[in-house]
Amino acid sequence: MLRYIIFRFFAMIPTLLIASVLIFSIIELPPGDYFETYVAELQASGETVDPQKIEYLRKEYGFDKPVWQRYFSWVWGMLHGDFGYSFEYERPVSELIGSRLMLTMLLSFVTIIFTWVVAFPIGIYSATHKYSFGDYSFTFLGLIGLATPNFLLALVMMYFAKVWFGTSIGGLMDPVYIDQPMSWGKFGSIAEHMVIPVVVIGTAGTAAMIRRIRANLLDELKKQYVITARAKGLPPTRTVLKYPFRMSLNFFIADIGSILPNIVSGAEVVAIVLSLETTGPLLIRALKSQDMYLAGSFLMFLAVLTVIGVLISDIALAILDPRIRLQGKPEK
Amino acid sequence: MKRGLLFTLMVCLVFIAGAAQADEALKEPPILAPLVESGKLPPMKERLPKDPFVVDFAKESKTIGRYCCQLVTLLGSAKDIRMMTVYGYARLIGFGPDYKLRPDILESFESEEGRIFTLRIREGHKWSDGEPFTSEDFRYFWEDVANNGDLSGSGVPQVLLSNGKPPKFEVIDERTVRYTWEDPNPAFPLGLAGPSPEYIYMPSHYMKQFHTTYNDADTLAKMAEDGGYRNWAAMHTVKGRQYRTENPELPTLQPWRNTTDGPSKRYVFERNPYYHRVDPNGQQLPYIDEVIILTESVDIIPAKAGAGESDLQARYLHFDDYTFLKQGEENQDYNVLLWRNGVANQISLYPNLNVTDPEWNKLNQDVRFRRALSLGLNRDEINQQLFFGLAKAGGDTVLQESPLYKEEYASAWTNLDVEQANKLLDEIGLTERDSKGVRLLPNGKPMELIVESAGESTEETDALELVRYHWEQLGIKVFTRTLQRDIQRRRFLTGETIMTISKGLDIGLATPETNPEQLAPVSPSQPNWPKWGQYTETNGKAGEPVSLPAAERLLELYNSWRQSTSVDQQEAIWAEMLEIYSENVFSIGVARETIQPVVVDKKLQNVPADAIFAWSPTAFFGIFRPDTFWFEE
Repeated sequence: MLRYIIFRFFAMIPTLLIASVLIFSIIELPPGDYFETYVAELQASGETVDPQKIEYLRKEYGFDKPVWQRYFSWVWGMLHGDFGYSFEYERPVSELIGSRLMLTMLLSFVTIIFTWVVAFPIGIYSATHKYSFGDYSFTFLGLIGLATPNFLLALVMMYFAKVWFGTSIGGLMDPVYIDQPMSWGKFGSIAEHMVIPVVVIGTAGTAAMIRRIRANLLDELKKQYVITARAKGLPPTRTVLKYPFRMSLNFFIADIGSILPNIVSGAEVVAIVLSLETTGPLLIRALKSQDMYLAGSFLMFLAVLTVIGVLISDIALAILDPRIRLQGKPEK
Repeated sequence: MKRGLLFTLMVCLVFIAGAAQADEALKEPPILAPLVESGKLPPMKERLPKDPFVVDFAKESKTIGRYCCQLVTLLGSAKDIRMMTVYGYARLIGFGPDYKLRPDILESFESEEGRIFTLRIREGHKWSDGEPFTSEDFRYFWEDVANNGDLSGSGVPQVLLSNGKPPKFEVIDERTVRYTWEDPNPAFPLGLAGPSPEYIYMPSHYMKQFHTTYNDADTLAKMAEDGGYRNWAAMHTVKGRQYRTENPELPTLQPWRNTTDGPSKRYVFERNPYYHRVDPNGQQLPYIDEVIILTESVDIIPAKAGAGESDLQARYLHFDDYTFLKQGEENQDYNVLLWRNGVANQISLYPNLNVTDPEWNKLNQDVRFRRALSLGLNRDEINQQLFFGLAKAGGDTVLQESPLYKEEYASAWTNLDVEQANKLLDEIGLTERDSKGVRLLPNGKPMELIVESAGESTEETDALELVRYHWEQLGIKVFTRTLQRDIQRRRFLTGETIMTISKGLDIGLATPETNPEQLAPVSPSQPNWPKWGQYTETNGKAGEPVSLPAAERLLELYNSWRQSTSVDQQEAIWAEMLEIYSENVFSIGVARETIQPVVVDKKLQNVPADAIFAWSPTAFFGIFRPDTFWFEE
């Protein structure tokens, strides 16, 4: 077991190295750089910039150096905890991401909890009452949730929240609370504004999870040990929860790998539509304007989290399920 | 809201207190009254310059307002807070609502022979922190910033160069400075008055602490390192940004000053207690206590405006939002004003005269081809379909409000005449057609014209659908291609683009004093002649020399404008340039004077009901003086 973990741990290093090269080259790929995008944007709105100033900036930020040199200084910096500098915000990247991370994580946690709370009971109900009226109606609702584009749902809900409850459109709190210390009023405002993003981001995830729980559980329910348990006269709830439900959770643990990066990145498109100050819009904006250190460091951060998440879920699976542990042994 | 009530109460108190005193006593804004009382702030009389700028309310048909309230407006990103400097529009010299230049921050601005400029500061004018504004602030910028290699690596700003040569700078006395060039420099006054002005002064008393000349190099280096800057020069630049006022400590001369250290979603700009403009009663402006800027994703700004969450909004609202905005008017207590767009043309097609494909290059450079394309457009139909007929058909040239306007510029080659257009195309020699009726190029390929759009507005792509149909009648097949804006720029500069669709020229409200650079090949960002423009900009180091006589003449005229000394001369130059440009159809304008919806809170006063919305010279709201806007009770 220990050997397995150590082996997996060292396998992370080349993975991350390859990821860093990929990230850097993809960001470098489109023609032009941040400054060109910036000038184009300004000119689109009628403003003008002194071309000499741009040339000067480019030199200041080391854009006259060859690509490989910039790559190595970026990686070297990251190893020392220096994630580079955002051209757009003119601040160190770590500062920018840091300030948004708290709200993003809060939102993601609440969303995940929401998903679980809704999906587990419904999934179990659907599996145990297969093809019943309830199963069909939940399936129907779930599929609608899965099929409706999130951003559309967000817009519609935002509109009705404004019309019916007077909630200000977009954002994670009422504008008056921005930059204010935490208070009950602020907390209430955040809670009020969180309903829409949580429901919107949650619906798709919930629908998918209901389907998976149902499918996995159905597989298990047919197995002989369940029939034996029933024949023995075990109460139905206990029968389901104690054995087949636990068996059907493998997929759920395997999912932890992807939950971790999701917690920090949030749902980008929905966040943009809802104007949430989470990290998602920051990343999209950085990619669009070719603010390369911000985008690059952020993606790298996500890559690290993904790799760690996968490692955690692999270890957890290996501990939970002896079949995986035995099959996963490195061959002699 | 509670705060609003408090203000109202305080206003009442101050009014009662004020009534007891002599009439001429100035009433302090309630928000400042306690500070004045406790002695933290000198009274208004001492804060104002001896001879303040009195806004002519009668002429600008404005009403006297009251001090109070917050104004909320929405912007797209933290970087957009520079719009506050545009809206505030306090300039050394600035345009009024009549589009005329006059001294604003300065007491006087005199020019001799168009090359010697004498600037005089108002007596007792102070920065927003109460320190005096003097000629030292100009000297500091000129000697310690503009001519410091570390701070201005690119050299002295362009408008401070005439014929490539910098001026002689003199400090005459504490309040007077003089710039003397060898050659005339008509770009100088305009540069000072622009929406994004050239700052030739800096709050030296504040900035000196970041400058190596006035400090020990080691302490400064340490200060920069602690603040997370690369070196002292970077720190000086970031701390001293006057256009994008990110540094809340930086003193300013604008009506409101930033108090928020970003990046934030919410910026609070509070009144500058030392602002230099007053209303006819001698009461200091601005009326509005605080301006709140909320940054939101651009996509939901129309929705938020329609929900009444902005008191004054035009940026990011488009004509297609109008019906939605109008619907919310009643319930949300705002008015939707219909202003006119100040660009020369809302939608323009730019044939690339520098396209590399030899066949298309020959065609685009042929004036008959450009005229034929223009004649073949059914502008009325586009106007009806896209703008409900509220726009005007016409070419890419100055608007009626401009003193340079002549009917023939706008109507040159813009009438619908398919027959004549076809005749012109036949004349060029494009007589062969394929089985579908598409004309053939001399090399036998069908005439397939690809128009590239930045795809940011559906307006352009919708218009292209109609253009496609119109030009089909001429035997030309049109294809649309949408690209990212910077990629689009790259493509037309390398000559891959045949034609670009974009906004028209930004000369809608041009006056003779406006720089006519947009009409001549001077910059690689011009989609109709990028390589020629690049050649001019880089002094022949890159690009190609202008090879078309008409364009050559435009460049010549532009250069003579740069050397002009009188308005008459400038007017003559403009007239000739406008005529050449329109006659040669260097860009094909489609619809002009389109509508810009402006959402204004019902209580907000002094916002003109009908005006032109433009970057230059109106600085969006700037010349309409947002410092005189006020909220009714």
